[in-house]
Amino acid sequence: MADLFSTPIIVTVILGTVGLAIPVIDALKKERGSNNKLYSGIAFGALVVAIGFVIFRIFSGEVMPAVAFSKGVLADDLFGSFFAVALLIVSIMVTASSWNYMKGRTNPAAYYSLILLSSIGMILIGYSTDLVMLLIAWELMSIPTYALAAFSKRDPISNEAAIKYFMFGALSSAILVFAIGLVYGITGTTNIGIAIQTMASLAKNLIPVGLLAIGLFIAGFGFKMGLVPFHMWLPDAYEGSPTTIGALLAAGTKKAGFSAALRVIVLGMFALNLNWTVTLAIVAVFTMTLGNFGALIQRSVPRILAYSSIAQAGYIMIGIALAPYSDQALTGSLFHIINHAVMKSAGFIAAAAVATALASYSLERYRGLGRRMPITAIAFSISLLALAGVPPLNGFWSKLVLFGAAINSGPMVSWGPYLAIAGVLNSALSLGYYAWIMRKMYMEEGPDMSRVKEPKAMVAVLIFAMIFMVGFGIWHAPILDFASKAIPHNLTSIVHVVSNIR
Amino acid sequence: MVEIFGFGGMAINVWLVWILPFVGAAIIAGVARKGNRVRDYTAVGFALASAISAATLIPLALAGSEIHNQVSWISTLALKAGILADPLSVIMTNLVAWISFLIFVYSTGYMHGDRDLTRYWFFMLFFIGSMQLIVLSDNLLMVFFGWEGVGLASYALIGFWYQDKKKDFVGKEGHRAGGIAMWASPTHAGMKAFLQTRAGDTMMLAGMFLIFMYSGTFGFKELIQNQAWATQMAHQNLLVPAAVLLFGGAIGKSAQFPLNEWLLEAMTGPTAVSALIHAATMVKAGVFLVARIGPLFFALAAFGVTQFFEVVAWVGAITAFLLATQALVNPEIKKVLAYSTGSQIGYMMMGLGIAGLSTNFVDGYTAGFFHLMSHAMFKASLFMGAGALLHTVGSRFMTDMGGLRKYMKKTYLFMLLASLSLAGAPLITSGFWSKDAIFAAVLESGYKYSWPLFGIAVVVAIMTAFYTFRMIGMAFFGKQTKHLEEMQQRGHHLHEVRASMWIPFAILSVATIIIGLVGFVFEAQIHHVLGEYLSNSFGIKEIIGGNAAGSSVIHITPEGDKTYFGLNPIAAVASVGAFGIGAILGFIFYIARKVDPEIISKNILTRSIWKFLYSRWYLNTALYWGGVIGPVAIYRMIWKYFESTIVDGINPAFQYSMTYFSKVIRSGQTGITQTYIFVFGVGIMIIMMLLFL
Repeated sequence: MADLFSTPIIVTVILGTVGLAIPVIDALKKERGSNNKLYSGIAFGALVVAIGFVIFRIFSGEVMPAVAFSKGVLADDLFGSFFAVALLIVSIMVTASSWNYMKGRTNPAAYYSLILLSSIGMILIGYSTDLVMLLIAWELMSIPTYALAAFSKRDPISNEAAIKYFMFGALSSAILVFAIGLVYGITGTTNIGIAIQTMASLAKNLIPVGLLAIGLFIAGFGFKMGLVPFHMWLPDAYEGSPTTIGALLAAGTKKAGFSAALRVIVLGMFALNLNWTVTLAIVAVFTMTLGNFGALIQRSVPRILAYSSIAQAGYIMIGIALAPYSDQALTGSLFHIINHAVMKSAGFIAAAAVATALASYSLERYRGLGRRMPITAIAFSISLLALAGVPPLNGFWSKLVLFGAAINSGPMVSWGPYLAIAGVLNSALSLGYYAWIMRKMYMEEGPDMSRVKEPKAMVAVLIFAMIFMVGFGIWHAPILDFASKAIPHNLTSIVHVVSNIR
Repeated sequence: MVEIFGFGGMAINVWLVWILPFVGAAIIAGVARKGNRVRDYTAVGFALASAISAATLIPLALAGSEIHNQVSWISTLALKAGILADPLSVIMTNLVAWISFLIFVYSTGYMHGDRDLTRYWFFMLFFIGSMQLIVLSDNLLMVFFGWEGVGLASYALIGFWYQDKKKDFVGKEGHRAGGIAMWASPTHAGMKAFLQTRAGDTMMLAGMFLIFMYSGTFGFKELIQNQAWATQMAHQNLLVPAAVLLFGGAIGKSAQFPLNEWLLEAMTGPTAVSALIHAATMVKAGVFLVARIGPLFFALAAFGVTQFFEVVAWVGAITAFLLATQALVNPEIKKVLAYSTGSQIGYMMMGLGIAGLSTNFVDGYTAGFFHLMSHAMFKASLFMGAGALLHTVGSRFMTDMGGLRKYMKKTYLFMLLASLSLAGAPLITSGFWSKDAIFAAVLESGYKYSWPLFGIAVVVAIMTAFYTFRMIGMAFFGKQTKHLEEMQQRGHHLHEVRASMWIPFAILSVATIIIGLVGFVFEAQIHHVLGEYLSNSFGIKEIIGGNAAGSSVIHITPEGDKTYFGLNPIAAVASVGAFGIGAILGFIFYIARKVDPEIISKNILTRSIWKFLYSRWYLNTALYWGGVIGPVAIYRMIWKYFESTIVDGINPAFQYSMTYFSKVIRSGQTGITQTYIFVFGVGIMIIMMLLFL
């Protein structure tokens, strides 16, 4: 059991207390009417305190360096802290922009409460070192988001989105439980570390069962990460949910899926044998290609962003597929994860700002946005350019690290460079729709070119995101250092040991 | 992560010197909302703050120590951002900072009431920030960032008056040479400057990366510490080409032959900008770059880099001659000064080049750098004075001036002092000492072609004295011209400019005289400081009175820290004589006006020489035919016969195929949950198959 005063516990307490308190306050309050601003403020405060605490813990030096395994169910390490920081940034951005988005909508108390509870789940996934803990955190993350996706309850599209999302969620949870069961069956433990050690010396006839477990894990987590072919629900759900929740799903829960995948699939299962990594590589290439092609001729901006997030998951998968061979690849994945969290949140929040001001998601309504909503348009453009990987924005550097790692992945993987080629071609293709949006915003004129009032809180969030994207583009060393410290550095050496045993 | 911010002690001051102007530039638009006065003071304040930070470094330079501070920048390539404040850069940074500050003060008067002052201040601050970045960075990559920043700012400021009003043009309207217009609008001049310097920048970039390929670093310190890269490059005969490519950047930025044309048209900017470009920031960047990398390459002398220094010296000599001849005949006061800048920079290059060709590197190096310093002061002063004239007279042509000394006594006095320095008046001006130092360095170098170089230098000195006195004579002496009389009739009062304008150039012209008066001691001091710098940083020791003719091997002597300085008699006589001849000729023609200069139009030979010089040796013509009109014609053909047929034929095919694929994927997205779950199931099976394969 982890220390009572470790980061995950304290963060859980902070967010959990506030998350449960908000509905209670709402019930006790006499005056009805929307208290959106109040709850938004409280939730925002709680999240800021939480991220402040996580960062304080990192700087105080009491957080363990990244570990692959621990005896307890939670490990207070840099790996978890890295994801906690990335996910809390997303939650903060979402909460702050909901200040405007939720204005005039019903039940704000439940809305913010659910965001906080979901955040707890996301954070705990990163810290989990036990499969059961992981599953619980996974459910804690997922269940509030089903409700959030359906939050516009009179909107049939929102309901449809939530239903699809929920069905897939249930399916994947079942698959995950099955996979955990298999692991428990062949190793007799749910602790990831012990399970790995046991698997490394698994009897030959049990290895297929181990592989089956890996496949199920890939499918189960892949649903959340939006990997092809488990992506089908994703465009519908991201598009149909309230746009801020789209940001939470695309930038938050998706990243949590990656943290789970890293803990389990990569950090763990290479104990079996390494041939399965090529499966991940194939999945990566299909994911990025399909995502980009899918986005190419869409007409709805959230849908473009949804497809784009499928494509981005493909880039991140490059690093995960190569993780056993190269520290740089895993660093690149983490680096791209935090960058993508901010870039994609910024994109969705810009779309939410447009939806708030113009009540439309259609790309046609984005014409002339450069003059109608200048700050939103410039922030959106920067986030699109960052997603496309245009220097000197932050997205460029993380792609550079990822593709560089793919090229220098070493003699054990012959297919490494092909991943880089696929990634570069896809990045070029992706500009086809990123630049298309920018063209609509700046080069074309709509029927109405009058200036629209930009939602203030969203503008603030977008400015923060711009500073992040440009600032860490020019000087990316701090984040890259953080990412490289947040990965377990003995991975590659473990690989060599394991491959020698076999 | 914490130690990233570990700027120790004085290092923060060095960072501030270049960061402060950028901060000022970033906030100036916001400050402008508070009122014009606040905005102007803020801009001047940031320039002053930067200058004060620079001044705090002076003790360090005099002590001969240095600050080298780095932070991790692009860790993927192991690149570091850093600053290097050694004696060379500390002297330079102070020069830049204080002259810029004075020009900023001057601008508050000169630009008073211009409606685009916010843009002006933004680019001025950006300009000096970029220049300080060049001066203080410890690696070529950051230098290049500053380099491009300077290029951008110069483009924006040369074309500052983008409405292209006739009064802001440069050149005489209607003057064509070889079919090419010799007058230009501000926007055209800005673009020309940008593109021409860009040609140099490209070369510099190539040189930088060539060195990076072999050394894996851009850092000056790292380059000198580990010289294995030089061995490798020398083996492949790439060392000299890389050095010359780097020098290409300096050629562009310092307007040396053959990339000199932009400087002459850069006069379209506000005069304060011209002063900044010519004295402190833009063109000095090239000289500074050579001063930065020169010792580095000299320290690698074992690999035979003499050709590099020969290129530097001869490019300098050719430019000095070329532009001095053109200055003889031009009627526009700012343009005369512009030609003179190019020509004087030629001197500096000659000094720095000859340093590497002689056995005693320090002499030429000091001479070149000393000339840079004195030129910065008197040229800034002259430009600001010229700006004062323009302000009062309302015309850029000296033929519209005349007899102004009665009306503008202060401007006259201080411009005269600065002019004396430019002309090299013996013993009392800094210009004399620095020019003399270059003469002496050339003579004593032991380079086999030192006499031709010396000859050019002396001829240029004669011409310099002549055109300087011509300028003074045309502006301040003689009768009032028609233009001025008309102005007075229309009720314009010819008056002295306001104090915020004349004080800055008064300070500089007095400074140049003071330095001139103690010139001998001053030069010895610089010689000492730079000598120590070269010996500490590069191991280039001085040879006491030595002259091992023709050899490029460094002789290291134990007592190398003593300074040696003596007046070379031939050089001294030559520079006094050159001043005398030029000054007397200028006096006869333009001050005493004994002979009418129109005399040259009587003789067919002198007339055609005049025309040749006035048409700028037809270099501009060649540039436009070969560099603009020709290529554009070729591009048109490519567009017509290649792009619009072949490329435009392929593009739609690409577009349709992409759209088709996208449609296929979209049609798979049915929206029916059962289908999705079916795909999910199939997906699991495919993954399993892949795993078990």
